[in-house]
Amino acid sequence: MNLTRKIIHVDMDCFYAAVEMRDNPVLKSVPLAVGGASDRRGVVSTCNYIAREFGVHSAMATGYAQKLCPDLIVIPGRMKHYQQVSRQIREIFQTYTDLVEPLSLDEAYLDVSDSDLFGGSATLTAKDIRNRIKDELDLTASAGIAPNKFIAKICSEENKPDGQFVVTPDEVDDFVKSLALSKIPGVGKATLKRLESHQLYTCGDVRYWDQNKLHHTFGALGELLYKRSWGIDDRPVRTEWIRKSLSVERTFPKDIMSLQACEPEFIRLFDELKQRLERHASDRCIKNQLVKLKFSDFRSTTIERRARSLSVELFRELLPLAWLRGSDQGIRLLGLGVNFADIDHEIEQLSLFD
Amino acid sequence: MKFTTKRDAFLKPLQMVAGVVERRQTLPILSNVLLRVADNIAYITGTDLEVELVARVSLESSEAGEITVPARKLVDLFRELPDGSTINVELIEQKLIIRCDRFRSSIATLPAAEFPSIDRSEISQEIEMDGTALKMLIDRTSFAMAQQDVRYFLNGMLMEVNDDEIKVVATDGHRLAMCTSEIGSSGNSVEQVIIPRKGVVELQRLVGEADGKVKIIFGANHLGVETGDFNLLTKLLDGKFPDYERVIPRGGDNVLVADRQELRHALNRTSILSNEKFRGIRVSLKAGNIQLSANNLEQEEAEENVSVDYQGESLEIGFNVGYLLDVLGVLESEQVRFTLSDANSSALLEEPGDDRSLYVVMPMKL
Repeated sequence: MNLTRKIIHVDMDCFYAAVEMRDNPVLKSVPLAVGGASDRRGVVSTCNYIAREFGVHSAMATGYAQKLCPDLIVIPGRMKHYQQVSRQIREIFQTYTDLVEPLSLDEAYLDVSDSDLFGGSATLTAKDIRNRIKDELDLTASAGIAPNKFIAKICSEENKPDGQFVVTPDEVDDFVKSLALSKIPGVGKATLKRLESHQLYTCGDVRYWDQNKLHHTFGALGELLYKRSWGIDDRPVRTEWIRKSLSVERTFPKDIMSLQACEPEFIRLFDELKQRLERHASDRCIKNQLVKLKFSDFRSTTIERRARSLSVELFRELLPLAWLRGSDQGIRLLGLGVNFADIDHEIEQLSLFD
Repeated sequence: MKFTTKRDAFLKPLQMVAGVVERRQTLPILSNVLLRVADNIAYITGTDLEVELVARVSLESSEAGEITVPARKLVDLFRELPDGSTINVELIEQKLIIRCDRFRSSIATLPAAEFPSIDRSEISQEIEMDGTALKMLIDRTSFAMAQQDVRYFLNGMLMEVNDDEIKVVATDGHRLAMCTSEIGSSGNSVEQVIIPRKGVVELQRLVGEADGKVKIIFGANHLGVETGDFNLLTKLLDGKFPDYERVIPRGGDNVLVADRQELRHALNRTSILSNEKFRGIRVSLKAGNIQLSANNLEQEEAEENVSVDYQGESLEIGFNVGYLLDVLGVLESEQVRFTLSDANSSALLEEPGDDRSLYVVMPMKL
């Protein structure tokens, strides 16, 4: 798994707005936003670069955007149409590699590590993909090329729009060292504030912080940041969606007032779960089982326990424990489910040093 | 600065030095090589601030001086000039003029004073050893170094001196390679350094060229290696290398001896249908025979039986086949010896009758 990978992150430039401008060129020369109307408290989902010059950006309330840019043209989105264009883009990707992981309608990761195209050059491959999107669909895309997903994603922002940026394996260290933590996917405003309160601004700062302290202060995020700060991201490009859990639940027409009264529904739900497991996930390893209850006051609780195979007895143990948490309230909803073990962990390479 | 040189005497050392220079540099001076001429010797230096390489080339005639020029351009020019030609190099008004027969070129330069050098730390000792022995140490172990491990000290190679012995160890946490050699002199004091990956790679290139003696210079923060024509200087990794002695299995009682090439081919064939990501392979040992088997996510499978010398108990154990093939690829003996204890414990791989090289591979749970 140490082999150097070549990952391309392709990100369409202001996708919805770009599709609208392509279909109706009149919109090319005006500030344009695709999103909900202001009288219905809508928000901007995408806007073109003219609108951006006025400070308009996605997720901004449309009313506010129109204050910043009085001439802003706001049109409602045509999701069906964008989905269809997205499919055309994906078909282009598929001619380069089977390893395509769509993140949304307008961005995707491609793993071209094993590709022989363009002498194995991911840079030229990305260039060609962008050229074809331009030629065949009259849309522009930006791309980031790097040895892993998170750097590739950051790179695709570097020369946006209609550009690309490469970080080669040799450059990873330098690139990451000076990288602002705010650029790491998953680090939002709140996290950033917490990091800054500890004088952590760049990946370089994180590298030399005490690793234990990082773990204690930021938990799992701390470990993630430590890895990212050294340029490490082993997440594979996943071509298909992988089920992490499976559950069944039922909301009752009338709240159920005792555990005994739950029994018929419990049996029915268990049988349903069992059937669905056999149909959809017979090849998966179960990691734990869970019981979910929602009480009369709409509070809900979930209780889970490790398990290797589906066991009705375990559900019977968990149900009263969950019930206790409701302090004698009625039950609105009962759910049973399982979480699956990560596929990767079913095979385990043992380590020399604990 | 002015000198005359034969193209063929200059090109090879220049290429070696240019190899150290990183292709894409943010600092322009780092993509240059330093040329220094003194006493009819040209010193060519390249650096990436972690590793520095100096080549010495004897000249026919020269005037002293120093300057830096782009490494890539200089290599390309020398390479494209005809074999056996004589080349005149001269610095005129901060341009490097290169003349050869009817060819003339002028290259931009940067002042030598701006060329960075790696800080020399205090030297603790120097040892001298056979170049081919050093080459063997590195060739037999470097594959096991980690690539980009968070445990940064694994992204390098441990070099250890003790009296008349020198030992190198590399590990990525899943497998370990160790090789020992005699130095040829005794009374050397104990020394333990970790050479970063890049330094190991350059050293490997260097000793591939050198026969005869090499000198290894141990400094507090750097390691120097000198051959007849080159001086290599690399920074060291600080950090504590894991206690490798602790993970070398002792006293496993299931000993297997196999023909190295036969096993290698069998593993290569079987591995084609192993899971591409994990490359897991199952090894079932029975008296006189091992069965190798692999399958992938598409339920394709392969198996092969190989006759071996084995009298131990029946045992089934999984491995990353790549780790086994790496070892079988660097060994040179006719046979290979495996010492195993159980499916969750490491395997020891050695050349029967030669204990200089030793490999430890952790199994895989399949």
